Amino acid sequence: MPAIEIEATKKQLSLPDRNKSVMMTDYVERPTGVGVMRILARWHLESQGIRLPILRYGFSVVCVAIGLGLALTLQYYQFRNVELPVLTLAIALTTWYAGVGPSVLAIVLSTACFDYFFAEPIHSFTVNSQNLPYFFTFIAWAVVVSSFSVARRRIEDNLRQARDHLQVELEQRKQREDQIRKLNQELARQAAELEASNKELESFAYSVSHDLRAPLRHVVGYSELLQRQASSLLDDRSRRYLQTIVDASKRMGNLIDDLLGFSRIGRAETKKTLVNLEQLVREVVKELGQETSGRDIAWKISTLPVCYGDRSMLKVVLVNLVSNAVKFTRTRTPAEIEIGCADGKEGQAELFVRDNGAGFEMLYVNKLFGVFQRLHRSEEFEGTGIGLATAQRIIHRHGGKIRAEGAVDQGATFYFSLPRSKDTAERTANTP
Amino acid sequence: MNGLGRILLVEDDPRDVELTLTALEEYKLANEVVITRDGAEALDYLYCRGEFSSRSSENPAVMLLDLKLPKIDGLEVLQQVRSDERLKMMPVVVLTSSHEEKDMVRSYQLGVNAYVVKPVDFHEFVNAVKELGVFWAVINEPPPGSIKKAP
Repeated sequence: MPAIEIEATKKQLSLPDRNKSVMMTDYVERPTGVGVMRILARWHLESQGIRLPILRYGFSVVCVAIGLGLALTLQYYQFRNVELPVLTLAIALTTWYAGVGPSVLAIVLSTACFDYFFAEPIHSFTVNSQNLPYFFTFIAWAVVVSSFSVARRRIEDNLRQARDHLQVELEQRKQREDQIRKLNQELARQAAELEASNKELESFAYSVSHDLRAPLRHVVGYSELLQRQASSLLDDRSRRYLQTIVDASKRMGNLIDDLLGFSRIGRAETKKTLVNLEQLVREVVKELGQETSGRDIAWKISTLPVCYGDRSMLKVVLVNLVSNAVKFTRTRTPAEIEIGCADGKEGQAELFVRDNGAGFEMLYVNKLFGVFQRLHRSEEFEGTGIGLATAQRIIHRHGGKIRAEGAVDQGATFYFSLPRSKDTAERTANTP
Repeated sequence: MNGLGRILLVEDDPRDVELTLTALEEYKLANEVVITRDGAEALDYLYCRGEFSSRSSENPAVMLLDLKLPKIDGLEVLQQVRSDERLKMMPVVVLTSSHEEKDMVRSYQLGVNAYVVKPVDFHEFVNAVKELGVFWAVINEPPPGSIKKAP
């Protein structure tokens, strides 16, 4: 009968046992070297769990033997009824340190020892029906103790694993934080470098503005003084030479000014407000009056939205685009220039400036917005090749896009998008 | 118009001085121009120090001030002038090559009366200087204590 009990116990306990061995292998196979805490935890576990089966079962035998020896010794010194607690202690120790299998062995052995040494008749395995309740009590007690031990050990193992897992996570998080900190430092360093080079660029532009313009002004000034002074003494060719010097210097002056303007756009802060584009366009067209006087230009300005942007910068864009349209329609009578608003993406307004002028080959469209890039010879249409680059820079700084469409001799259309103001609809509705 | 004000020109570049004088000559304003070649010399003139110790202590009708100057630059001169009780009413016009907004803003913050960028084009330059000279030395009524030649 005890055999059946023991079998049942074994079956009951075999599942946790297997689970535990899996957990232990898991533990061993995990990468090591994540801190002193981890090593300590491992050492603790190793001291608790003896892994070789022979050792574990041997431990069980030794425990029961020591328990028996202790019980016999105590009995010898007239201590009565101590065998049950001592043997139960041996079973508990075995369960604690060696696992379920050895604990079953310990139960079997201590039952046998109890029967042989302590239950009447002594020194015989015969079971007296009188002692049967003792036996059952002992076996039940032993099973309860070992179950408690196993359960406790399993919980402890789980806790330990969870703790180790947390520790690994903590380590990893620390590593990630270190990484983030390093990246941040790198970013700060780069930002500082960028700021330094920006400052350098700024001082460069500043000296260009100051020091390059002065000699140029002198070249122009003295050439003109010479023209005034010696014009009557010079022949036609010399006068043409002088005129060329003056013209070239002025051109260089324009180049420097445009280039400085371009670089300023990159450096200046944008001061964004609500900008009534229609008003701005009309202002720009009015200001270009000098260039357009005597020309036959059919202007068509549609209703334009209110946008959110830097007014003076947007004005530069419009001046560039509109004066380009005026310039490249020089050969047309009548010239037609249309400024309107197309449907842009959500939250954006797309404006266009269309002309019926010289146009350009779509093949070179990507060169159009480059600095110093020109698609026309300067004797056809004058210019520095910076205007559209500046316009593009401004539009990009506003988070918009600029593009062009055109064909040779069929005019060009420049589109640019800008973020709309939220209440654009109301405002345009209110504008008469 | 009652008389001709004295113009103090602070300019380090001799060619710019010559071009400015040429422009002023066309309106016969050149005779009343005092030329100083750097910020320190300009302050010496204003405070009647050094080689200017013997001049009469009145202020010029206008100071045409370049910004980029040896020793003491234009903005420092301007700051000094504006912080001095005797000089702070004197009209100061910055006449510079600098298109930089930074310079412009700083000058106005320091209380400049006008900020003129020297045009590259000679005709425009001559016109600009001429108009400046005419306005500040002839049309404008300078504050009390300024040098004025009787008409």
